[in-house]
Amino acid sequence: MSPTVNANGVGRSSPKAYLADEGRWESIDRVLDRRGPWTDEQFVGGRETKDVLRSKAKILVIGAGGLGCEILQNLALTGFSDIHVIDMDTIDISNLNRQFLFREADVGKSKAVTAAEFVMKRVPGAKVTPYHGKIQDHPPSFYLQFDIVIAGLDSISARRWINATLVQMVDEENPDSLKPLIDGGTEGFKGQARVILPTISSCYECSIDMLTPPTAFPICTIANTPRLPEHCIEWASVLEWPKVFKDKKLDTDDPDHIEWLYQQASARAAEFKIEGVTWALTQGVVKNIIPAIASTNAIIAASCCNEAFKLATTSAPSLNNYMMYVGNDSVYAYTFEHERRPECPVCGGESIIAEVGKDWTLEKLVDWLAARQDLQISRPSLAYSGGKPLYYQAPPQLHAATLKNLEKALPDLLIDGDEVVVTDPGLPFTLTVEIKYA
Amino acid sequence: MQPSPPSSPPNPRPLKLARMEDSIDIVQATTGTSSIPSYRPDAKQRRYDRQLRLWASSGQRSLESARVLLVGCDATGCQGLKNLVLPGIQQFTILSSAITQPKDVATNFFLHPDSVGQPIAQEAVRLLSELNPSVEGAARVDDISTLLQSEPFFFTSFTLVIATNVDPDVELALADLLWQASSEVGGPDIPLIAIRNSGFCGRVEIQLREHCVVDTHPDTTHTLRIDQPFPALEKHARELDLDSMDSMEFSHVPWVVLLVRASCWWKDNHEGRYPGQDKADDERSAERTAFKALLKAQKRKGDEENYDEALSQAYRAWTPSTVPYELQQLLETENGALVTQNSKNLHILLQALKLFLTEPPHLPPISPTLPDMHSSTTSYVALQNLYKAQYRADLEKFKGYLAQTLSSLGLPVDAIPDDEIEGFVKNSGGVNVIKGRALRESKEVQGGVRALIADSFSEGNAPYEIYLPLHLAFLSAERFFSQEKRWPGTSQDGDMAEDSRKMAETVRHIIRDAAQGFSGEIGDLATNAIAEVARGGFGTLPTTAAFLGGLVGQEAIKLVTNQYNPLDNTCIVDLVQSGIEKFRF
Repeated sequence: MSPTVNANGVGRSSPKAYLADEGRWESIDRVLDRRGPWTDEQFVGGRETKDVLRSKAKILVIGAGGLGCEILQNLALTGFSDIHVIDMDTIDISNLNRQFLFREADVGKSKAVTAAEFVMKRVPGAKVTPYHGKIQDHPPSFYLQFDIVIAGLDSISARRWINATLVQMVDEENPDSLKPLIDGGTEGFKGQARVILPTISSCYECSIDMLTPPTAFPICTIANTPRLPEHCIEWASVLEWPKVFKDKKLDTDDPDHIEWLYQQASARAAEFKIEGVTWALTQGVVKNIIPAIASTNAIIAASCCNEAFKLATTSAPSLNNYMMYVGNDSVYAYTFEHERRPECPVCGGESIIAEVGKDWTLEKLVDWLAARQDLQISRPSLAYSGGKPLYYQAPPQLHAATLKNLEKALPDLLIDGDEVVVTDPGLPFTLTVEIKYA
Repeated sequence: MQPSPPSSPPNPRPLKLARMEDSIDIVQATTGTSSIPSYRPDAKQRRYDRQLRLWASSGQRSLESARVLLVGCDATGCQGLKNLVLPGIQQFTILSSAITQPKDVATNFFLHPDSVGQPIAQEAVRLLSELNPSVEGAARVDDISTLLQSEPFFFTSFTLVIATNVDPDVELALADLLWQASSEVGGPDIPLIAIRNSGFCGRVEIQLREHCVVDTHPDTTHTLRIDQPFPALEKHARELDLDSMDSMEFSHVPWVVLLVRASCWWKDNHEGRYPGQDKADDERSAERTAFKALLKAQKRKGDEENYDEALSQAYRAWTPSTVPYELQQLLETENGALVTQNSKNLHILLQALKLFLTEPPHLPPISPTLPDMHSSTTSYVALQNLYKAQYRADLEKFKGYLAQTLSSLGLPVDAIPDDEIEGFVKNSGGVNVIKGRALRESKEVQGGVRALIADSFSEGNAPYEIYLPLHLAFLSAERFFSQEKRWPGTSQDGDMAEDSRKMAETVRHIIRDAAQGFSGEIGDLATNAIAEVARGGFGTLPTTAAFLGGLVGQEAIKLVTNQYNPLDNTCIVDLVQSGIEKFRF
């Protein structure tokens, strides 16, 4: 290509002139002015479609971390101009290898605010509104104002919450209440992107059983027969820390706390002749660190934003509904339709049935619930459908008052067909379980 | 002053393949256990923590010595560079003579409206450099094809070259140059990553002459050898006095030991055969069932978890340990190759491994790793120590063969660093050598792509997936550009039909040339692929750019660190249907 000079002649152009130059959208306009072989029939194209994208669409980004930074960049460049971003975190030095909207001088500042400022500075014309805080602090009316929600989260419980919230928001009388949720996630060289149309396609909760359960070490191994460096680290954090520091909470972001755990774990490892306890491993185990790199976030965030662009413009069909990317052995991707689960506690109609034995105790029912892969709960509390507590994990008074129920036989507490209401810290909704005696 | 004794010359061999374990040897770390030294990470380790957990300090060192050239300066290329500057390559250069236009700024995050009118390479370098203060960036404002003629060494001075949406003829000239530069053993091996994109569609091609992977990161590196225990393991298992154990000890004997012990007993009583060996189907399964029953009968209370684990792993007693298939293939390929003084370390190590394998049991060295299993600390550590001791013995034996190999090549015994040898011996099943193909072969529709076209379009066949048709659409667009000096879908009146017709004609010509009995009909998929590629008009959607930039980032990291298997050699990205496919053309 031969060197050319911009329309304003040699030299820097003013932002105003730049923004007035509609020709800058040339690359994007090619797919908005013309339909392709797979473009939907409703596609109008041209001015009307561009207006929806560039002036009308309001989009919410959840998370301003590894995926969030990429998502904000892509949305702004694609032409979305009313972008909102929410994140409760502040910037840490370990974010800088991938969260490219942040610099060393930003460490400690709000991710949402810093990211929004950066994108607005770099891409004139894009308005980014930040919210520094928790997604749970916003009411459904907040979420109702957006056309599309994109989530780039690293927390399962936050994903379950936003998924359940958007599903519950759907009002059949009001088509605008249905907000597409685009969800991305990464781990090392792997990641996935999916499009969730609440109540229409499979939701996050429908696929909760696909999650690999977290590695949990039996407490007796940690206490008595450690074999791996991880066992020694767990011993230090789970058993020794509370013993020595009583009520002082372990802060896994405090290097002095990690240091203490590392020293304890090293000493225990030496005693048992176990090799391999390092500072980095200690930190990795107690913080449950997942490896993360810029390139994987780029792939997944690009895929999420491509879906948002397609949804907003109908210029191409949207992903139906799940794409997995695996980059650690050459390049591999798998695109498929994840099916809805009829008994999904969030978007399915049917309640969960617990087929129990007459000889079961309430404790066995609690264990059975906690072990179910499709529920992913760890500390369930149970109540009668009328609200009377059966067994509560917290607060302490209720826990003490209901503890004795655990050893009782189920038939002494519940009859066939009774419904039990289950709540759990990891569960963003209440679950109804119907009791059926075998 | 006394002259120092003659030592081997300063190591001229690339240290690129060096690998190091990140774990600190606890014995060293806790010397004089009174004070445990702290290994709190420094600022750099903290910055790179999340990636060091993937490629370790050895990968990081390779990354930090990598110099990357970006030819062409568009959104896709800059996104790719961003993903390399962030993890900390040593240096990058952008080569482009273009002046920034508003339409460049609109798609490229590493340009600003202020950049308009300035050389695009300089502007992008400035904004990319902000991402990581330890990375150097340089702009070269020059015409690519002129520079290819006048200064070919400029291109061969880099570790890796990325070309994004470059004029197809210039791209091919660059590919030829790098292919030739890599032709000599011991010469530089400079991979080329070539990217092309239009609208929702994209393609990444990687040209590698030869690429060594020192750690593919296989799922498992254990070498348990249940069927052929090494002498110390066999002795340990046989001498175990189960009867004298209390129930606590008994239920904590590791399953590996239980299985080895049961296998030895079985062989003693079955003419040295493992369960089911040399038997017909029904007798084979009867023997295996009998073996499991034997194990089960040893249980005392019935709930011993170690026995349950042994039973679920019992198949290992009749699964002969072998040289892993991939390693076998690799060694066979290596047979044909001439190993010289200038060969890469991995070739020399594989040569030594071949000698190692001539000795019984004709298996690769034992790895010191052991999976976790139900057992007491002491019995687990004791077992682990057996594997570690055998690993060290195998390592010494291997070093002997390596010394022999090195001396036959006229190289000093310390030509390969110790940590690299140790890494290889611990994980010999996790190495790979990829022999790539010249990009020219693919562009001229020879080799793999020709075979696939022949297969897909012969005798009334038609491809049932979009990916090969998309590749054909890109190929025809490149030929279109060479003739018309503009891309399809960019005519002034916005008409795509005529451009698409010409592309279809080229595709038909390509297929007819490769596929016997081709009907002459390119089919709906190819027609649609052409239409979609023409629709994009070879403009860059920011999302397509970011996707391809991410893919290229991953592949570049794999190539530069010599870890994880890279793409060999073509990947088609279809963001209409959100799918991708890879090919070896």
